[in-house]
Amino acid sequence: MKILTTVKRVTDPDMKVKIKPDGSGIVTDGVEYKMNSFDEYGVEEAIKLKEAHGGEVVVVSVGPKAATKEIRTALAMGADRGILIETDEDLDSDAVARLLAEVVKAEAPEVVLMGKQAVDSDRNQAGQMLASYLGYPQATFAYSLEVADGWATVGREVDGGTSTKRVKLPAIVTADLRLNEPRYASLPGIIKAKRKPLDTKSPSDLGVDITNKVNVLKFEAPPARAAGQIVDSVDALIEKLRDEAKAL
Amino acid sequence: MAFDLFNPTETHLTFRQMIRQFVEREVEPQAEAHDHGEQFNQGLFRKLGELGLHGVTVPERFGGSGMDAVAAVIAHEELAASDPGFCLAYLAHSMLFVNNLAINGNDEQRQRFLPGACDGTLIGGMCMSEPDAGTDVMGMSTTAKKDGDDYILNGRKMWITNGAISDTDLGDVFLVYAHTGEKHQRSISLFLVEKGMEGFSLGQKIKGKLGMRASTTAELVFEDVRVPSKNLVGLEGGAVKSMMRNLALERLTLAAMSLGIARRCVEIMNSYAQDRKAFGQPLNRFGQIQRHIAESYAEYMAGRSYVYQVAQNLALDAYGQRIDSDGVKLYCSVMAKNVADRAIQTLGGYGYVSEYKVERLWRDAKLLEIGGGTIEAHQKNMTRDLTGLEKLL
Repeated sequence: MKILTTVKRVTDPDMKVKIKPDGSGIVTDGVEYKMNSFDEYGVEEAIKLKEAHGGEVVVVSVGPKAATKEIRTALAMGADRGILIETDEDLDSDAVARLLAEVVKAEAPEVVLMGKQAVDSDRNQAGQMLASYLGYPQATFAYSLEVADGWATVGREVDGGTSTKRVKLPAIVTADLRLNEPRYASLPGIIKAKRKPLDTKSPSDLGVDITNKVNVLKFEAPPARAAGQIVDSVDALIEKLRDEAKAL
Repeated sequence: MAFDLFNPTETHLTFRQMIRQFVEREVEPQAEAHDHGEQFNQGLFRKLGELGLHGVTVPERFGGSGMDAVAAVIAHEELAASDPGFCLAYLAHSMLFVNNLAINGNDEQRQRFLPGACDGTLIGGMCMSEPDAGTDVMGMSTTAKKDGDDYILNGRKMWITNGAISDTDLGDVFLVYAHTGEKHQRSISLFLVEKGMEGFSLGQKIKGKLGMRASTTAELVFEDVRVPSKNLVGLEGGAVKSMMRNLALERLTLAAMSLGIARRCVEIMNSYAQDRKAFGQPLNRFGQIQRHIAESYAEYMAGRSYVYQVAQNLALDAYGQRIDSDGVKLYCSVMAKNVADRAIQTLGGYGYVSEYKVERLWRDAKLLEIGGGTIEAHQKNMTRDLTGLEKLL
């Protein structure tokens, strides 16, 4: 079984985000970059599928040259080869989906596993758009995945509970965080990853125009939270909720 | 890409990030409790084996990862930034036992012990110091007398990290230095002594340590322990060179631990001094605090550059690299203790209690001025090696 999985290089989600004074972006000095954590679940699930069914895991990233590090991390976890679509542009989800669509057409995997969203921009669009461009079925927010006889059975986290969906392969599955427990890239794995193939392509190699359709105009910090208050009785709380917070 | 002394290859960088991720998720949450309880975390130690950390410098054919001194430094720096005590147990095993045997043992010995030691099922250590001989290492009095095909070991070894893994249980296997003739440089030999050998016992698990409490320290007793010749490592009387070779890596990685401690302390004081306000402004607007932060950072970076420069040039199997392997530990151990001290000072009362971690790091930092060579031993060695050098090229 051939499985394609995607990884995005993102800023460390645990750091304090600082916005540039002109609002054009976030400050990236002294910021660590990591693999998007939802993609870790996708990579782990792809490797588990390979371990169960045999085959190959291809890991793809759209991003700057430095994103080879995130691809190598996935290779060190157990993926077999990597493809970097190299661009220094900050792309919208639509451009990313169109780039990935070309790679999927060329690679023809049976399953495409992606993180449900990237933890930097939290857009939650690329997987759905990719399915749409390819005309493939999609199952998003997966917490479980079983593949048999050309179909995938996907347990999904939805508002208010879970749902189960069966999709015909090839299909796009996006991972939620209860899907599995991603393994660490072991040191022997890291060393093996050095010898695994990693191709670099440009958007023009794939014949894709990456002009953004969605542009970010300005970054702003959310308003600072006002200090809390301690009240001495439930009655006082209700009064404040009604009169001050207008919440009742 | 820009020149990166601290991550000379992409493999080193990926390795560092893997450990850092592991440390944040699995090492940091257990550090305070194991320090408090003076407990060694054996389960976590096994996990280091799954990640390939125990065999970081061991050839791949013996279950290792075949990396260099820089990778060993990265591992120690990252682990010590969270839990120096646990890192010390890792060092005693992976550097003093595993690397020592990988470099100085024969193939049969490597085959017998390294796969288990690399995956963490065997816990090893090294025995050099004695109750009455520390810096004066040639003054050790443990003896090994030839008896037919065996050696009979007698003596006591002190301050042995991983000597015990709990209050009552010995570690699994040790590299033990002993005299095999009249006390002399060329009479020191190295033996593999295993748990279960008759006469080999735990004298005491040492309690009440100031710091490094997440690693165990023990006194080990050898009473007429019969050790077969196949457990002699290297040649009889030829162990001083292997001792020196391994000491270089030991000191380099101990210095790397100091770097981890210093980095963490700088991070903590830097962030505290931005958040905490006094007289209407953040602490880092005050010159006295600026001096603590800026000097600490500069000294940390100086030490870090020195350590990585030496690591880059340290051949694991070479001999005679002493000036700088002593030098990095002399500089970094003192530096980290000073940085930890300034971090406590910057945090004031909060720095003095465990919640903010710098008090633990300060206690752990102190050991590095003593263990693996006291700073006085480094001063002695370095001055002797510098004697007669007219110019520093």
